[in-house]
Amino acid sequence: MSNFDILELCFRNLLRRRARTVLAVTGVVVGTCAIVVMLSIGFGLAASFQEQIESYGNLHMIEVYSGRMGGPVAVGSDDRGIINDRNLAKIEKIKGVAAVTPVASEYLTIAIGKKVAGTEIMGVKPEVLEKFNYEVQEGRLLKETDKNAILFGNQVPYWFYDPNNYVWSDKPTNVMTDKIILTANWDYGRKKTSGSGSGQDIVYKEYKVKGIGVLAAENDQSAYRVYMKLDELEKIQAQVRKERGERVLPSVTKSYDRALVYVGNINDSSAVSKELRNMEFQTWSPSDWLDAMKQTARMIQGVLGGIGGISLFVAALGITNTMIMSIYERTKEIGVMKVIGANLRDIRKMFLLEAGMIGFIGGALGSMVSCLISLLMNTVLRDVIGMALGFIGGGYGSSISIVPWWVVVAALVFATAIGMAAGFYPARRAMNLSALESLRNE
Amino acid sequence: MEPLINVKNVRKIYRMGEERVVALDDVSLDINKGEIVCFLGRSGSGKSTFLNMVAGLEKPTRGEIYVGGVPVHKLTEEQVTLFRQKNIGFIFQAFHLMPMMTALENVSMPLIFRGVPKKRRKAMAKESLAAVGLSGYDNRKPTQMSGGQQQRVGIARALAGSPKIVFADEPTGNLDTNTARDVMNLIIKQARRHGQTLILVTHDSSVAEYADRIVTIEDGNILNMHMKGQGENDDKEN
Ligand SMILES: Nc1ncnc2c1ncn2[C@@H]1O[C@H](COP(=O)(O)OP(=O)(O)OP(=O)(O)O)[C@@H](O)[C@H]1O
Ligand SMILES: [Mg+2]
Repeated sequence: MSNFDILELCFRNLLRRRARTVLAVTGVVVGTCAIVVMLSIGFGLAASFQEQIESYGNLHMIEVYSGRMGGPVAVGSDDRGIINDRNLAKIEKIKGVAAVTPVASEYLTIAIGKKVAGTEIMGVKPEVLEKFNYEVQEGRLLKETDKNAILFGNQVPYWFYDPNNYVWSDKPTNVMTDKIILTANWDYGRKKTSGSGSGQDIVYKEYKVKGIGVLAAENDQSAYRVYMKLDELEKIQAQVRKERGERVLPSVTKSYDRALVYVGNINDSSAVSKELRNMEFQTWSPSDWLDAMKQTARMIQGVLGGIGGISLFVAALGITNTMIMSIYERTKEIGVMKVIGANLRDIRKMFLLEAGMIGFIGGALGSMVSCLISLLMNTVLRDVIGMALGFIGGGYGSSISIVPWWVVVAALVFATAIGMAAGFYPARRAMNLSALESLRNE
Repeated sequence: MEPLINVKNVRKIYRMGEERVVALDDVSLDINKGEIVCFLGRSGSGKSTFLNMVAGLEKPTRGEIYVGGVPVHKLTEEQVTLFRQKNIGFIFQAFHLMPMMTALENVSMPLIFRGVPKKRRKAMAKESLAAVGLSGYDNRKPTQMSGGQQQRVGIARALAGSPKIVFADEPTGNLDTNTARDVMNLIIKQARRHGQTLILVTHDSSVAEYADRIVTIEDGNILNMHMKGQGENDDKEN
């Protein structure tokens, strides 16, 4: 018996008892919808979590700190957890890492005219900024050939104020100028008030620098920092320490207190972080939260999917019931078919296919309905929720429900498989019916 | 000549709880290719049981059945369906047509099971319908036909694949006398024309005149056998 003939027979039988078929299919539609919609809410939740975390900072970026507290390191001894050139090279080779730079950082005062701002100056290798996918809103990124140049984070220009009257303006200061003073003196520009006598004896060196650009990203760590070339900042640092009278520990190999690691694909972030911690570094990354939140989302999704699963299970029982009924009804027919030469396997195939077809049709319709429901949720329901919470478009992520294409495919396959599984027992039963007895019961 | 069907000392006992029903006691019989054999006997004598066992629908309690050299009593159910598919046509007393299918589709059924391609099986089925005088009834459903017509479709179905052996268990049992006569004539005519072996069960002794041999069964045993042409009683004592 050719498969095409089996398929045709199966369709005829389904159409023959239309009402029953429709009911069984409806069961599967509801079950599929339940699963797909529940999962889509889970996906929506995960996506809105991610959106939220992205607002915390750049998910590609991992900040690496030395895992050890001070102390000189002897040559050739164990250098794990220390950010030196050897380890940086190792880090660069970790799978998923796109770029690495050692970082020096110093809190300095930036003065432009009468206004000042205090912030963290980061010394980085200029060539990595491009690999970090940093983009400028104004000017350009740092170059290897730059001298005394600084690159501003997006928010820093808003921070400048006059230290003598503390009037803040909400307009950004123009930082694209070469009249910028950099100094470790936090009181720079403030008029000395007599009597306060804070014992400010140290005279800090003042550096003349120029602003060459402002970064575009508004809400990640880079927005709150100012960048300059690593070697230049290191010189400033050395000078500042000397001025403060801090003793610099002579270390045999050069090491840094921080590094930035850029991960190309954010899905690799947690693996890279883990690897770094295995190397005894301390790490910080917004993607650390991502994992926890993803886990939460997954758990919620599991619960939701489970609820959907139950309804699909009920639908499967419906299919089994339909098939058993149909076998009772067709007992005589099955008997006749056996006597006039139907193979046992063909009979089983016929019933399995019928059940599978119910599952498939139900799954297909269910997927379509789910997509529709998802669309409705993302438009109508979203606004309703928005209004209920008193604002529109906020609060929730951009979509409540997300249906990835593979979920649709999986739902289709799953519904068909469930249908076949539900039809397995009835099909066996039909196959094992005794031909003679089937003919006898009239 | 080697007989087509060779039945040796077959016994069939049905067990129903404590009770044992001896449906066939000890039956031995050879049937040649192309022979038309008619089984007569009272109700409950074991005629259907015999037929069903030769067709492989039931297993004998004891004894051996060979059809074309194949030990039918030893085949698994899987094998026996294949064997039936290839060699046997069935005509039922209650017609047993598929109610939702047209005459043509009903006749095509055994061909579908055999895997005959659509075009070819349609032609075969049409031819078979024409042979039973039902050309033009292709698209009738069983409910739209008389009993006689339905049984003709049944006959066409049994003959469509040109099986070597045709079984007919009281094929006219549900028909009035005149129709019964026509249908019986048709069955025998078709069998003769195709050189098929026909095994008939009937209560109507007038059919006997068409048969090559009449086998009378009583209480699970062969009472006597009439060979046509010999005209004499070939009594068989058990
Ligand atoms: N499945 C069964 N279970 C128990 N007993 C059975 C079964 N089938 C047949 N019998 C018994 O076996 C005996 C022979 O039955 P069978 O059907 O062969 O008779 P028959 O000659 O075909 O009768 P009829 O002319 O009425 O069709 C009967 O006594 C019947 O009751
Ligand atoms: Mg009978």
